[in-house]
Amino acid sequence: MSGPPRALGWTAAALLGGVLLQVDRTPLWATVTACVCAAWSIAGAARRVRLPGRTLTGALALALIAAVAAMYRTLNGLEAATTLLAAMGSVKLLEARTRRDRYIVIGAGLFLLFAACLARQSLPCAPLYAAQLWLCCSAMLVSAHPGSTLGERAAVRLAARSLLLALPLAVLGFLFVPRLSGSLWALPATGAATTGLSDTLTPGSISDLSESPDPALRAWFEGAPPPPEERYWRGPVLYDFDGYTWSRPPPQWFESAPQATAARGAYRYRVTLEPSAERWWLALDTVDAAPSGAVRLTSDRVLLGARPVTEPISYAAVSDTRARDPTPLTPSARAGDLQLPAARNPRSVQLGRRLRRDAGSDAQFVRSVLELFRTGGFRYTLTPPPLGANSVDDFLFGARSGFCGHFASAFVLLMRAGGVPARVVTGYLGGQWNRIGGYLLVRESDAHAWAEVWLSGRGWTRVDPTGVVAPERLRSGIDEFLPGAESTSARLLLDVPGIASLRDAWDAANAWWTNEVVGFDSRAQLGLLRRLGVAAPGPAALAWALALCLTAWLAVLGWQLGRVPGEPRPDRLARAYRRLCVKLARAGVPRAADQGPATYAESVARRRPDLAAVARRLLECYAELRFGPAREAGDASRLADLERAIARWRVSPPRRSARGSRGKRSAASARG
Amino acid sequence: MSAHPAGERVDPRDAALRRAVAALETIVLGKPRQIRLCLACLLARGHLLIEDVPGVGKTTLTHALAHVLGLAWQRVQFTSDLLPADIIGVSVFDRATQQFRFRNGPIFTQLLLADEVNRASPRTQSALLEAMEERQVSVDLTTYRLPDPFFVVATENPHEELGTFALPESQLDRFLMRITLGYPEARFERELLTTGERRDLLSGMDPALDAASVVRLQQAVRAVHVSDPLLDYVQTLIQRTRERADLKLGLSPRAGQGLIRAAQAWAYLSERPAVLPEDVQAVLPSVAAHRLEQREPAGAVDGESLAAELMKRVPVPI
Repeated sequence: MSGPPRALGWTAAALLGGVLLQVDRTPLWATVTACVCAAWSIAGAARRVRLPGRTLTGALALALIAAVAAMYRTLNGLEAATTLLAAMGSVKLLEARTRRDRYIVIGAGLFLLFAACLARQSLPCAPLYAAQLWLCCSAMLVSAHPGSTLGERAAVRLAARSLLLALPLAVLGFLFVPRLSGSLWALPATGAATTGLSDTLTPGSISDLSESPDPALRAWFEGAPPPPEERYWRGPVLYDFDGYTWSRPPPQWFESAPQATAARGAYRYRVTLEPSAERWWLALDTVDAAPSGAVRLTSDRVLLGARPVTEPISYAAVSDTRARDPTPLTPSARAGDLQLPAARNPRSVQLGRRLRRDAGSDAQFVRSVLELFRTGGFRYTLTPPPLGANSVDDFLFGARSGFCGHFASAFVLLMRAGGVPARVVTGYLGGQWNRIGGYLLVRESDAHAWAEVWLSGRGWTRVDPTGVVAPERLRSGIDEFLPGAESTSARLLLDVPGIASLRDAWDAANAWWTNEVVGFDSRAQLGLLRRLGVAAPGPAALAWALALCLTAWLAVLGWQLGRVPGEPRPDRLARAYRRLCVKLARAGVPRAADQGPATYAESVARRRPDLAAVARRLLECYAELRFGPAREAGDASRLADLERAIARWRVSPPRRSARGSRGKRSAASARG
Repeated sequence: MSAHPAGERVDPRDAALRRAVAALETIVLGKPRQIRLCLACLLARGHLLIEDVPGVGKTTLTHALAHVLGLAWQRVQFTSDLLPADIIGVSVFDRATQQFRFRNGPIFTQLLLADEVNRASPRTQSALLEAMEERQVSVDLTTYRLPDPFFVVATENPHEELGTFALPESQLDRFLMRITLGYPEARFERELLTTGERRDLLSGMDPALDAASVVRLQQAVRAVHVSDPLLDYVQTLIQRTRERADLKLGLSPRAGQGLIRAAQAWAYLSERPAVLPEDVQAVLPSVAAHRLEQREPAGAVDGESLAAELMKRVPVPI
């Protein structure tokens, strides 16, 4: 291809790159439209097909706007706007005839990249984004030089060079441009939450999560991590049961918990929570205090954020896994914790009452229910049969197979039927120790549900009925959790050489990216300043740091640009000559880049006759040393002489030029 | 070798050279730069092309050059019906010896003045231009060497004129320099108007040089030192012309060699022991302009401006 078709090909590629970055967030028809329009416009430019006229493109644009509006019921919001931009860029491609048109389309490609950055910031995306940026810059350069003045390879290389030159600037901006403490980028999220714990529990809900390998959170511990059986990450606590679904009353029902002081042996750790579109901040059961002002610790020891978690957040927390709170329940709370739907699951309610009657105490009752689970032929499976409206009856007396949600639900119902206050707690259990990153990785598939019962004198006590049926669930992968532990059966699986460490390294890189790059917020910025030795970090200090670094960078750049690329560093003679040129420039005779020593001597003679004799001698000496035949013996001493002569030469500054002063005088007289 | 060892400035040859420059300046008024370029071209063993409108003194300059240099010279007026044999010579049958005998054409001389070279047909032009490159002619299986020194000083009218055949690039490349004279300044024109024909002055003037001293000068010019930084500079200049996508052709290696030789000659004329960037800059427009041409759509910029822009763009080595 040559000329405009070539530039058009690049433009189409830039747009398609932007569209493909969003391929899973925009409807399929938008991608197809972009591909068709690209092919059409390229074929049209090569004169193989006719391009659509003004009317047809206009109609197409209107149809696409209508399609977007119909699909999203709005043109606002990230996804609708992205789709709209992709569609309009595609139509514009059909009428891209001038350079300006092509710039607009490439601009759309860049905006699509920007939208992709807003939507997703994970590590695997970063190289794709960089590639798209490179593609757009190359396309712009090719478009700017439609003839053959800049070849395609040269354009691609120039784009790469420009981007690399801009990289330090980007790093400076990243480090020092003050972050807004609020989240400017948190656009209204549309669509369903991706994954994560919700505040309801139905018999099937946890198994959805079990299939997702996405990370839920990562935790770095000060000191050793807790043993696997204590790795209960507390999420929403559920109270209300309608016979099928467990749910949580609205947040305003919960008072804030009093701040507790950290006990000895408490775990101190830092959590990075992946976005979940829910408000829960997960912490090890049970957390002492709210880690920041943006989150509230409710009376049932759940961390409830002010806003949904739409981007990774990081917080420090202290948890005491053995904490007890024996404060008696208020009557109203007790009533809530005993609530059961009328006329649902009648057989289970009956069973609960009977077992309580037979047991001597609440604690005995708990033990007998667990014994029932252990010996009653129950089976742990992630693919249980569907349950009816009386889900617990169906489970206890029918299927007898299920997973944590089923067991927790059944257990709490039996407890409540027997008059023991009980509730369902959802969250995550376990986590995988990453040896390379030194942190605990908790995945969505670690989602878990367990129960808590209120026993007088002990307060709320965790009971995990799943552990009775499937103890391996609690201990799963116990060996790999412990750094340095040796050889058991589970290790054998993971010790396929390299695989485990490869996986760990990849996750550690992702964790680093999430924490240090995506999670580099205003707090981290100020921390950086403090590490740089700034006594009072703040926005002003940030501005100073930015200004200083920018100045330094520009100085480096200027120095680099002053040198002809590929040329060796200036030698002694060149440095001496530069000093001479600087002196003469101060004397009012700067040297032009294309001026050699002889013509320079002439301009000195013309403009500063008083300096002419010395300047001519020095310049001639320089010219002989630089361009004359080399003489082994004399050159070194002559160079030294020249250096000394240049250093000693005192040049008077230029007198105010006669013309300038006369001009001033005439201006003054004109005023008079 | 150093042409000008420190302290001893004047060489007898240089005195003769200076006399030659002075003599030429009295004949051709107000064109010292062009005169020095002509001399530099000839001292660099290059052929010279003088292009200008009729009547500005092209022929006067060439006659003056031939006379002052003290060379044997011939003048050929090129016309559209001139044949190659009219320049090179022809074999004629000699009745006395019953053999063909080659009669030398006007090209067998030390300085050939080819007047209005672009009026001849391309066939005749190429016969001349081959001889320029090879410094020999081949007729009937026999090769005849041309004398040494051998120069062609050609004049041509601008291409736009009627009845001209433009010299193709390959043949323009054989001319080391192309110079233009231009109209004289007012005061020199006044003098021309009052004194009349300048060529008449030549008869009263002794040649300043002769063939042997021209050859010696040419050898001295070749010995002017060319340093590595200067070669870098010339290479950069040439490279830039090749990088520019809007030029039909960049400068050829032959042009590069010519540029260095011409710069050496210019340095010699300026009495410098080594070539400075200034010497390259002084000869570059004349050496490069006729070899540089812009591509069709943007052909408005002429070679001189391209050469000037080139020099502005490339910083001198320091």
